[in-house]
Amino acid sequence: MTIMGVCCDKPGVKVALTGNESIARGALEAGVGYASSYPGSPTAEVLGTLAKLARQFNLYAEWSINEKVAMEVAAAASFTGLRSLVIMKADGLNVALDFASALAISGCRGGMVIVVGDDPGAHSSVREEDSRNLCKALHLPVLEPASVQEAKDVTREAFSLSESLQLPVVVRCVTRVCHASGDVLLGELAPAGRRPAFNQGDRVITFSIKLHALQEQKLARASDWAGNSRLNSYHGPGDAGRLVIASGPCYMYALEALEMLGLSEQVGVLKLGVTWPLPEKLLLSYLKTAAEVVFAEEVEPFVEDNVMALAARHWDEVGKIKFYGKRNGQVAGPNGPGIGELDPDVLAQSLSAIWGTPYTKPALPAHQEIFDLLGTKMPDRELALCAGCPHRASFWSIRTALELDGRGGIVLGDIGCYTLGIARTGYYLLQTMHCMGAGVGIASGLGKLDCFGFDKPVITVVGDSTFYHAALPALVNARYHRASFMCVVLDNETTAMTGHQPHPGRETTATGEPADTVPMEEIIRGIGIPYAVQDPYDVEAAIEAVYRMLQQQGPRVLILRRACALAAVKGKQKNRVYVDPEKCIGDSCGCSRFCSKVFACPANIWDAESGKARIDEAVCNGCGVCATLCPQQAIVVERTV
Amino acid sequence: MGAFHEPLNIIVTGVGGQGNVLASQVISVAAVEAGYRVAVGETFGVSQRGGSVMSHVRISHDRPYGPLIPRGRAHVIAGFEPVETVRVMLDYANPDTVIIMNNRPNYPLGCLLGEDKYPQPQKILAAVQKMAGRVHVLPATELAKEAGSPMAANMVMTGALAGSGLLPFGREYFVETIKSLFKDHIRELNLKAFTFGLEHIGSNVAWRVSYNENFAGNL
Amino acid sequence: MPGQKDLKNDVLDQDLCSACGMCVGLCPYIKTARDRVRVIYPCGLAEGTCYSICPKTGVDVRAMDLAVFGREREDQALGVMQGIYIARAVQDRASGAQYGGVASALAALALEQGMVSAMVLTGGDVLNPYPVLARSADEARACAGSKYTGVPTLEILNRAIREGLDHPGVVGRPCQVLAARKAEHSPLPGTQFNQAGSFGLVLGLFCFWALDPKFYQFLTNKVKDKIIKMDIPVEGPVIEAESGTYRWQVEDLRPYIKKSCNLCLDSTSEWADIAVGSTEYDPAWNTVLARSDKGRELLDLALRLNVLEVGEYPAERFPLLRRAALNKKMRVLKMQEYQPGRPGCPVVPPEYQKQLEEQWGGIGQ
Repeated sequence: MTIMGVCCDKPGVKVALTGNESIARGALEAGVGYASSYPGSPTAEVLGTLAKLARQFNLYAEWSINEKVAMEVAAAASFTGLRSLVIMKADGLNVALDFASALAISGCRGGMVIVVGDDPGAHSSVREEDSRNLCKALHLPVLEPASVQEAKDVTREAFSLSESLQLPVVVRCVTRVCHASGDVLLGELAPAGRRPAFNQGDRVITFSIKLHALQEQKLARASDWAGNSRLNSYHGPGDAGRLVIASGPCYMYALEALEMLGLSEQVGVLKLGVTWPLPEKLLLSYLKTAAEVVFAEEVEPFVEDNVMALAARHWDEVGKIKFYGKRNGQVAGPNGPGIGELDPDVLAQSLSAIWGTPYTKPALPAHQEIFDLLGTKMPDRELALCAGCPHRASFWSIRTALELDGRGGIVLGDIGCYTLGIARTGYYLLQTMHCMGAGVGIASGLGKLDCFGFDKPVITVVGDSTFYHAALPALVNARYHRASFMCVVLDNETTAMTGHQPHPGRETTATGEPADTVPMEEIIRGIGIPYAVQDPYDVEAAIEAVYRMLQQQGPRVLILRRACALAAVKGKQKNRVYVDPEKCIGDSCGCSRFCSKVFACPANIWDAESGKARIDEAVCNGCGVCATLCPQQAIVVERTV
Repeated sequence: MGAFHEPLNIIVTGVGGQGNVLASQVISVAAVEAGYRVAVGETFGVSQRGGSVMSHVRISHDRPYGPLIPRGRAHVIAGFEPVETVRVMLDYANPDTVIIMNNRPNYPLGCLLGEDKYPQPQKILAAVQKMAGRVHVLPATELAKEAGSPMAANMVMTGALAGSGLLPFGREYFVETIKSLFKDHIRELNLKAFTFGLEHIGSNVAWRVSYNENFAGNL
Repeated sequence: MPGQKDLKNDVLDQDLCSACGMCVGLCPYIKTARDRVRVIYPCGLAEGTCYSICPKTGVDVRAMDLAVFGREREDQALGVMQGIYIARAVQDRASGAQYGGVASALAALALEQGMVSAMVLTGGDVLNPYPVLARSADEARACAGSKYTGVPTLEILNRAIREGLDHPGVVGRPCQVLAARKAEHSPLPGTQFNQAGSFGLVLGLFCFWALDPKFYQFLTNKVKDKIIKMDIPVEGPVIEAESGTYRWQVEDLRPYIKKSCNLCLDSTSEWADIAVGSTEYDPAWNTVLARSDKGRELLDLALRLNVLEVGEYPAERFPLLRRAALNKKMRVLKMQEYQPGRPGCPVVPPEYQKQLEEQWGGIGQ
């Protein structure tokens, strides 16, 4: 859990690490020389950790502009013989896919590991994409850690596999590994690094069908390697007739579920640490004795499908096997098979149903009885923009300007904190939301429909980090084609959603080195699009700015710039904000609880007893915007200097 | 509590921004320092955005466990917020579960908007007591304010947990962990808040309910 | 008593809003851009100050006469008044002033004399008018010159009252004068006006209608160079531009007249302390109607301090002015859309109506 743990040079000692720190440690033990990433949950902290240690370990670490570039810069290092690491979330692999598929053919030199964070259950993602299917299409080996300890071990192993195959290797980590933490037994840190070499005549080329054949050979070697790898393991009786094949943390869930059912002694659990290519020989050896096989994996039936295909190919060796998993609906969480996460309870229930083993759950409290005692149902807790978030002020301004305009203007968006524009605290403004930068492209498309009589004003919001990541091609497209829409950059001066990483608009890099800042104004000016800059905390001026620009034609950009409220108060004394009860008129005419009911900042709370608004000082970040919006001027801001 | 459970299942719960993830990290670092195995599963998602946050902390002697505690098998629930405590209890508590709960509500948006009702404090207490035998309610946010900042409520709660006698290792591991994780005035603040929580719960846990007027649970 | 939802349904969505601005800034839910007034969010309350304060809802002409002046009107054409004059500013005639510069001069005088703490005016130019809260005579004079679009200037009045400004003054169109009077005299559900006290001065302007800002699009399409001055006498608009003078017929304006103005009975700010307009015959002079005692006193003071030169209103012009005012009223009363008591339609009690028709008939068409 500490950077000291990650860099601790005491092999054999146990330290507490998060899954992401464990991955970073594994890379350090493997002698990584070059690391790059674009921040995304659940893997955002890997690069951050390595960046902090960059000087100490003489490695290079950067937050790249997007995942494709991150993969390219990491590949470059590998081409020179360095070991390189590129980290992204599942969505990022989609961005990098074009390069990845070519790289998988050309191959690499120094060990190159691609860490992909999948998010079953979509805890911090817009979807729960299973990237293993893409990796299979890419012809890249996939390793899957089951625990925080394995996150380190698998990452280290992946480097040597990659180097021996001359092929990038994917470490597929799920949220329950990345965001978990636990004790990790440290290994040896790698000795001081290699020197890069890329000489005239060296060629790394993606060309010719012969390389496809080579690719297949590499995968065959990987499968052989996997058969002997310690990353796969078996737990249970010999010659088990009942077998659970598990990957990732589902392995831990399976062990616990069997324990809960009292089946540990009868059922074998085969953990696959290598899920692509399958360790075929190893699998066949277990399939031969098994009559019933249950798959425990997240999210899609990836191992399930491929093992069933393997069994079909070897039907004469493995005999009759009954397979249970997502395909026949037997392994299913509350949302259905192949949807959402698994856990020990889901598996216990599934196994209990499959094998008819009674499962006595601990008696949970009777919910209805508790609701009766509470006198109400449990209030939901929906996601909300943080107290003081500049996006709230921006969304309020956009909403107000659209109402004033009255033409039924529409608002598009994409990925970032401002995605919450789809929900209450963003006043449900966003009408499309897909992937990084998509709002700008969709706006560019809508902005050309005037010839069909589509005359609604179009606004798209995009974050500052997303602006650099994915908005630029669409903006150039819009300018070139004179598409009419307004792009509002919600610039909070950081990549806030994933933990405040820098981007090309900032003054420093991932490692804290001074950067040559690339101001977005210069880019926009260069594209030739008119723009304006406004502080969203000045709500009246922001409404006016949005309204004014709404009346214009062609592409135009409004930058609403104000630092993320969390970043702004970090380590600082916050402004004290409080309500003057003498002035507050509560829910009577004149505001009707605007601050707590409509503006919906979680720090603006309501004291039913006194019938007055209140500020929750434990939540308030002291931005003072509510004070400017209160029509009674009942909210007081005491500014700290 | 004489013998400790194996694994010891602790759930730390609250609202994004309350610092519960940090609290669970302090617990797990301290546990590893004390020679235990530990597995922590965080369910925070977009954690800073005001959603429910829950950390599962599992402490064991030798065997590693997965990061998720099965339903109804929490031994201790440290609730940083009353309604979140109830929410977690509904799925994870059993009659033997011990509850340590901050009395300070953090109102969900739906309650602020008047669409939902935030249950009254006395009713929350009744519900919590119905579900669990031993309940300790403390004014963690108020104690944190006394220590210097309401944001340090997480360390008050950690102190209360450390002082509860429910963990198989002593407070000194926590103190060392806090010292190693923080520096300067944040370290001092957190140590003070930790001590306030520790002292509040008392060294020889007299299980009591301190439900004071600071529970400003009205909506 | 109705509320914001009704204001939206009955007035704003019916295009009956004259953009006086009185409801803007009462709460966070009603906002304005240019002459647009919009409910941007439903406040959820059944009753609201915004509705009761709106000049387009619930006005009984006689009741308002009694509330403001304590008596009924004798003249159905011009309302309660103590005297009618022509006047012009003696000195410091504000640059850009329309006609005799009386409105600016009186506003400046009221500020200088401490009669008002601040004056709500319309500043800017014809193409870009905006509300101004003048706190000094110079600031008031800087607002001189007619604007022909509806500017929701009373928005700034609300802001001023909220900031604790006592006895503010208003220079406004008849609808704005009415809004101010409703604020003074209606029982309002909100608390904003309880401490406001009365207005220091309500100076009304003559107004037969206001134009939609779309008129300026029409103008800029026709007049390509810089507009120096604009006037709209009875014959129709006159535009002085760098390249020369442009004229149109009144009929050309019709499409740009606000719908609410077509239903308005009041062209001479009948509930003002003092009302100021053009003479329609001499651009160097204004018509001035002293209505209340306060208005009378201000006019006397202006005369005593030699701020205004005041003359008798020409007897031969008086019937013409009355006929213009009566014609507008009669046209409204005969309109199909006019349904007394409905939003946008003031109530004229039967005795007033009877007199009105007699007086109108008496003047001849």
